[in-house]
Amino acid sequence: MRQDIENSVIKFIAKQKNLNPSDITSESTLDELGVTSLEAITIVYDIEEKFDVEVPDDILDKLDTVQDIVDGVAGLISENG
Amino acid sequence: MKTPVVITGVGTISALGHNVDQFWRAICNGESGIRTLTCLPLESLRVKIGAEVPAYEPYEFFSKDELHLLDRFSQFAVISAREAVADAGIMAEELTDAACIIGTGCGGRVADDESYQRLYQQGKTRGHPLTVPLVMANAAASQVSIHLGITGPVFVIASACSSSAHAVGQATAMIRSGLVDVAIAGGTDAPFTYGTLKPWEALRVMSSDTCRPFSKDRSGMVLGEGAGAVVLESLEHAKKRGAHIYAELAGCGMSADAGHITDPSSAGAARAIRAALNDASINPGDVDYVNAHGTGTKVNDVMETQALHQVFGEHAARLMVSGTKSMHGHPLGAAGALELVATALALKNGIIPPTANFTEAGEGCDLDYVPNQAREKKIKTALSNSFAFGGLNAVLAVRSIS
Repeated sequence: MRQDIENSVIKFIAKQKNLNPSDITSESTLDELGVTSLEAITIVYDIEEKFDVEVPDDILDKLDTVQDIVDGVAGLISENG
Repeated sequence: MKTPVVITGVGTISALGHNVDQFWRAICNGESGIRTLTCLPLESLRVKIGAEVPAYEPYEFFSKDELHLLDRFSQFAVISAREAVADAGIMAEELTDAACIIGTGCGGRVADDESYQRLYQQGKTRGHPLTVPLVMANAAASQVSIHLGITGPVFVIASACSSSAHAVGQATAMIRSGLVDVAIAGGTDAPFTYGTLKPWEALRVMSSDTCRPFSKDRSGMVLGEGAGAVVLESLEHAKKRGAHIYAELAGCGMSADAGHITDPSSAGAARAIRAALNDASINPGDVDYVNAHGTGTKVNDVMETQALHQVFGEHAARLMVSGTKSMHGHPLGAAGALELVATALALKNGIIPPTANFTEAGEGCDLDYVPNQAREKKIKTALSNSFAFGGLNAVLAVRSIS
């Protein structure tokens, strides 16, 4: 499941930034990838649609790396489960 | 003494093609761009025709990265503004402090429609985060400023079918006041979505045949899409940089009917025409040509003819009046800008645009409507009329530079 989440997050970021998914690792920061705030909320929208979770606004500000997003989504899914 | 303002660049994308050359060639040939719509499913539409931009491939104009932030109406605005700026031969650094005033009647309807489909039809619970930046009415003006690096005053004007004439009037006033030396002004709309067309059908003003302004058998207006833009600058600024000048934007007249929300008033239209003549210090008897609002509805064409009689008296019989919506359709917020470009080119080229699809004059329509064939005639002074739903009127006066 975690791998599935990570793959999806990387795919959504890659789509948004026109990058090759292999250029993105779990340690990549959104800053390094040049993700703007509008792109970040679009990536979060894609994740919400895919995993049927609601990412609260206060979590958004704390997302720094790809790993942070994966952890956050995994947490939300387990809460739902 | 008002600061003279001149038109030094023009840009269009419309049912008549992707640029001004195609637009003007079609007008000179009296060719109509009204066809069966291709950009949406037609089964449940009563009106299946429109003036759609032909063979439009957004990827020919924008990168993938640019496109996801551009609703169709913003794409058209940027395309027409780029052409106008290239035509004016104005350098990027001269645009930095320019103004950019873009009209729109309905904003980003494509993203709007998609959003409502997701929420109401597909039962999704989330809106898409890009919907607001795509649909907001100022998106087109903002995107033109972003794409051209314009950091001066930028805003949108929304007065339905008069939007772009008001935008040009506003830009002219800003140049005259000394606020800016250069302005990009125009308008854009892309109304071909199911959710936009159905309410237009319900107004029962749409033709399912074609647009025949001022004809006896006219059957209504035909919606269009596209954008038009002009580069305006003070005469002094244009001369200093050795710019090519199409014509002087000599005046703008505006009025509101303060009557009915959809029924137009000839008195309101006449007030705007007189105001434009006064603003430009033009004697009514000196006007050669009027690019009419000419929607092809029963009500507009009689009302507009009456207004011209009221203002011009006996001279009305000598005016050439044409309805170019018979060719580029009625693209709402883009209409005034496209018609201003047609009017400026008429002055520059000595060719009067025809009213296409003309059969025989309708009752109460007794002027020279330049039926079906463009007319070669050198002219010096012309008007372009725009009268909007809501009773908002804007008339632009254009004069050749001697």
